[in-house]
Amino acid sequence: MTILANNALPLTARLLEIQRMSTEDGPGLRTTIFFKGCSLKCRWCHNPESIAAHPQVMWVENRCIGCGTCAEQCPEGALTLTGQGMVIDRQVCRNCSICAEACPTAALERMGKKWRMEDLLVEVLKDRAYFDASGGGVTLSGGEPALQVRFASAFLERLREQGVHTALDTCGLYEVGILEQLMPVTDLLLYDLKLMEPMRHHKLTGHDNERILDNAIAAARHLRHRADGRRMWIRTPIIPGATDGQENIIGIGRFIATRLEGMVSRWELCVFNNLCADKYRRLGLAWPYADYPLPTAHRMENLADMARASGVDADIVCWSGATAVKGA
Amino acid sequence: MQRAFVPKVGVEPEPPPPLSPRIQWLRDYYFKGTQRTWNNEFTAWTTGTPWDLLFNEMTYYIVPETYPLLQTMGGSFLQAARPVRLSDHFWSLSLVERRAWFVKQVMVHHVPKEVLPGDLIAGARFNVQTSMCLTRQERRQYDRLVTGRHGVRQQVLWFHNHGYGNAGATSGHLIPDHVRALRLGWQGIHADLHARYRELEPDEQRGSMGAQLGAMITAASMAREVAAGYAALCRRMAAAGDDGRRRSELVQMAANLERVPWLPSRTFWEAVQALWINHMLVMSDENYPGPGVSFGRIDQYLLPYWEYSLAHGMDREFGKEILKCFWIHCNTAYDAMIRNGNQGITAGFGQLITLSGLGPDGRDMTNDLTYAILEVIDEMSPILEPKPNVRLHRNSPDQLLDRLVAMISRNAGAPFLLNFDERAMAGLMRQARLAGESDYIHAGNVHDYAPVGCLENTMAGNDRSGTVDNNLNLLKAVELTLTGGKDLLPFTDPLSGRSARIRQDGPTTGDADRFETWEAFWDAYARQTAFIIQRCVDLYELSESVRARFFPTPYLSCLVTGCAEKALDVTRGGAQINHTTLEAVTFATTVDALLAVKYLVYDRKRCTMAQLIQALRNNWDGFEVLRAMARNKAPKYGRDDDTADEMGRRVMELWTRETWKHRTHATGRQFRPGMLSWNYWAGDGFLMAASADGRKQGQFLSNAICPSNGADIYGPTANANSVGKVLGGRAADDRGDWENYLNALPNGASHTISFNPAIVRDPDHREKFKAFLKAYAHNGGTALQINMIDADLLRDAQQHPQEYRHLLVRVTGYNAYFTTVGKELQDEIIARLTHCARS
Repeated sequence: MTILANNALPLTARLLEIQRMSTEDGPGLRTTIFFKGCSLKCRWCHNPESIAAHPQVMWVENRCIGCGTCAEQCPEGALTLTGQGMVIDRQVCRNCSICAEACPTAALERMGKKWRMEDLLVEVLKDRAYFDASGGGVTLSGGEPALQVRFASAFLERLREQGVHTALDTCGLYEVGILEQLMPVTDLLLYDLKLMEPMRHHKLTGHDNERILDNAIAAARHLRHRADGRRMWIRTPIIPGATDGQENIIGIGRFIATRLEGMVSRWELCVFNNLCADKYRRLGLAWPYADYPLPTAHRMENLADMARASGVDADIVCWSGATAVKGA
Repeated sequence: MQRAFVPKVGVEPEPPPPLSPRIQWLRDYYFKGTQRTWNNEFTAWTTGTPWDLLFNEMTYYIVPETYPLLQTMGGSFLQAARPVRLSDHFWSLSLVERRAWFVKQVMVHHVPKEVLPGDLIAGARFNVQTSMCLTRQERRQYDRLVTGRHGVRQQVLWFHNHGYGNAGATSGHLIPDHVRALRLGWQGIHADLHARYRELEPDEQRGSMGAQLGAMITAASMAREVAAGYAALCRRMAAAGDDGRRRSELVQMAANLERVPWLPSRTFWEAVQALWINHMLVMSDENYPGPGVSFGRIDQYLLPYWEYSLAHGMDREFGKEILKCFWIHCNTAYDAMIRNGNQGITAGFGQLITLSGLGPDGRDMTNDLTYAILEVIDEMSPILEPKPNVRLHRNSPDQLLDRLVAMISRNAGAPFLLNFDERAMAGLMRQARLAGESDYIHAGNVHDYAPVGCLENTMAGNDRSGTVDNNLNLLKAVELTLTGGKDLLPFTDPLSGRSARIRQDGPTTGDADRFETWEAFWDAYARQTAFIIQRCVDLYELSESVRARFFPTPYLSCLVTGCAEKALDVTRGGAQINHTTLEAVTFATTVDALLAVKYLVYDRKRCTMAQLIQALRNNWDGFEVLRAMARNKAPKYGRDDDTADEMGRRVMELWTRETWKHRTHATGRQFRPGMLSWNYWAGDGFLMAASADGRKQGQFLSNAICPSNGADIYGPTANANSVGKVLGGRAADDRGDWENYLNALPNGASHTISFNPAIVRDPDHREKFKAFLKAYAHNGGTALQINMIDADLLRDAQQHPQEYRHLLVRVTGYNAYFTTVGKELQDEIIARLTHCARS
């Protein structure tokens, strides 16, 4: 409220998507808001369209009827429909999205849209009854919501005024002060810890992890001082050859046990999946994980056992996601 | 808000215990189908006159698949019919008395009586086709009205062939007053009828009122005499048998049958036995095997008997065993046409039972019998009849929801339908206000409503609302608006190949190309909507008036409050609450077509009206870009988009208002609105021309109140919110129809949502699914059918991606629509789903 009142312009956010009836982003039934733009560039990222802050155009081949409307309308001449499909010249494309607006089949999609706070509030409150019945609410995810901290904190505050449970799913890479703005208006923090070894972290995500770990410690301290029973969840993506080593799992576990002051109520190992291979192709990006097999349930159980033995309260460990079908 | 969140390990709900040898045998025997030596297929019985008529084809007018067979079926039954020796004064009786006498004679003296091995309930064969008992002159009149050149049959065919829908006075689809019949026994009903007859003036006794009550008095002793026949059989079997336990069961069955259904029931076994005979004879009386002859709130009115017997030593499992025998009996309704293949099962017949729900003062009525019946359903599953409908409300107990969700997760879908009390009761309260029925439906008793058939809400024991009788494709009005009142395409007879000439059928609303504004288009649409409803009303009148004249059901009339009081057969409007329901089909397709016209022609000017009409005439061939815009760019109902849903609300308001204007002339039954689509939305998709929403001829129309196929791309909550909104949503000022709930459809509306099975994969997710159901009571519609997405559906989605835009793949940290994922990965998702289903 106050932030809105102090500014002449209404606050807007760059969002990728709004996902309703989400069951995977915190307690209960939730509406998850995916912000566009991320401070990390994880090589395995499952939502590569969320990394860049600017809007992008994606072409979904099986929706296309080859009418050529897009190529006619593109002011830059960046689109060519070839026998192998649509070629988007990313050097030339200015991501104006005129093509996506014109495309009659929605084969060209604009990734990234501006939302006004009031509109977004109306949108998420449509599912109020489901939040109330389930102990659910709204989760900000991404991308990295904290990169749009002014909007994110004001929005979470508005939700809390309405009595809606709030969760923030974050990668933890930003200035220390940012989390301090968000924590007071966040009921549940979902915090990603991927790799403990700083060099590997830098190599695979584009940044080292010092600030991420500091922010996690600061968040835990905040929770302890607040003493209202709120806790945080840690999420670790299990990426073959990257995060799934014994040393890494035990390292994260030790960090949770020794540095996060008992403020973690759940540590979730999220199974790598390869469903995003198509997204990379559509964005014209290479993906080094395209041929990696899915872990088996057995493998995930082993990793979870490793995590339980790492010094954390064993009850907080769980894993989620789809594993390989036996024999497939 | 903050909850402790303890991760749980995935524990599967316990599977139900195995069936007892008795029930396992009966169940296995039932599923042997045509291999059985015993079955309940129709037997046919004639007065022996050369002009006799056995088959009431009008009850099948709402089943277009039967149209080519009507003549054959009537002929075959007559050919197979065995003559019944008539009493000397038979032809001097009135038609209703002849019919009462004849059906009773057949059921008591002619239809064989058997008890299957181990069965605890008597009453086996009930599917009959009995003579309509017409005189030669009556038959001649009937032929002129029904099968003549301008008879009902031809009118029904025209209505169907031209894409309007269908209508016919149909049997079943009501809840007889079982409560009274169990409490008083037929003895009490019989005595009441006698008293009423004696109170008539002498000239009334000689007239139609006397005839009706006389016929009902005859019918009122049918159950007693049928039971006596079975009692004697049980005694004979007990004497002949040697198994000690079975002998004592047969002796007890005989004792039960010597008492009920004539006398009031005392024990649970007696009550279930009485209920079965009372129910099966309704099907005999109507010559109609099952559809929609529903039981109402069985867990409420059988509870006193259940508790009495448990207190007097009945083992709870034995009580369930009695119910399981009852379950088997209900399924034998399908035997009627068992030789036609698929064991005679064409669709769920819908002998509906209702469980749980609200009682007085907002109390939840779930009880031990509710749970016992749910156990029976779980243990008997999969089996079709009786079809369970569980009533939920905002405060349904967690224990009940746990049980339901466990059953859903085990059965890969719900083995029951769900009804939602607040919204449903709001609809019935509105009906009471609009139809002036506040004496019969009011705040003090509306909680005693129950659905019939699938989800069609009625009151119990005094209500015939013709819930499947009129099925109208709302979309036809959009077509007529585009053409100024004519068919868009000529109807071509598939047999002769001859095309009918296009004529001016509807009002001449003018050339659609000349409508300068959207509102001008809407005004013409409103006139065409009024026209198609009038046309449906007129068609219904034809079969309704013929039924009222020729096909009385005096036995059923004994079980419907109002008929004895008025001395009027239920087919003549005898029930206290008398409606016929207009079930709107193609709602979402209609709304989406209007939205597309508005978007393409008026708002965005993507084409002219003439171009759009040409595209529809061409079935969109050559107009692929325009069609893609209609499908992908125009707004759609079902996405919780207030602008699109406002169009839905406007369509709803228009057609329901028009519906309430009508009443049948012959029987004085007020039309009321509902939305059930049975299978018409699939079949009529081939009859109806292409529509402006981008649908081609041959593609399915939308089902009941559901969004169009694949349109609900924002998931189940958005889908449910749209449904709740178009029904009326909630009144801001607490002045709703019931509390602040509004509901334009007293009949209710069929709503199906398909979920990803992951939603019930572990205890944590099952809690979330329970919460969805609770919230649906706040935001959603009157009824919900839950399907789980399966591998077959995903394979179909691979083939037809445009039909399945809404299928979401969501795992932690990733989301995408299924149809945007590449083929190999789709295959992988399918493999996983298959794997889940197996484990």
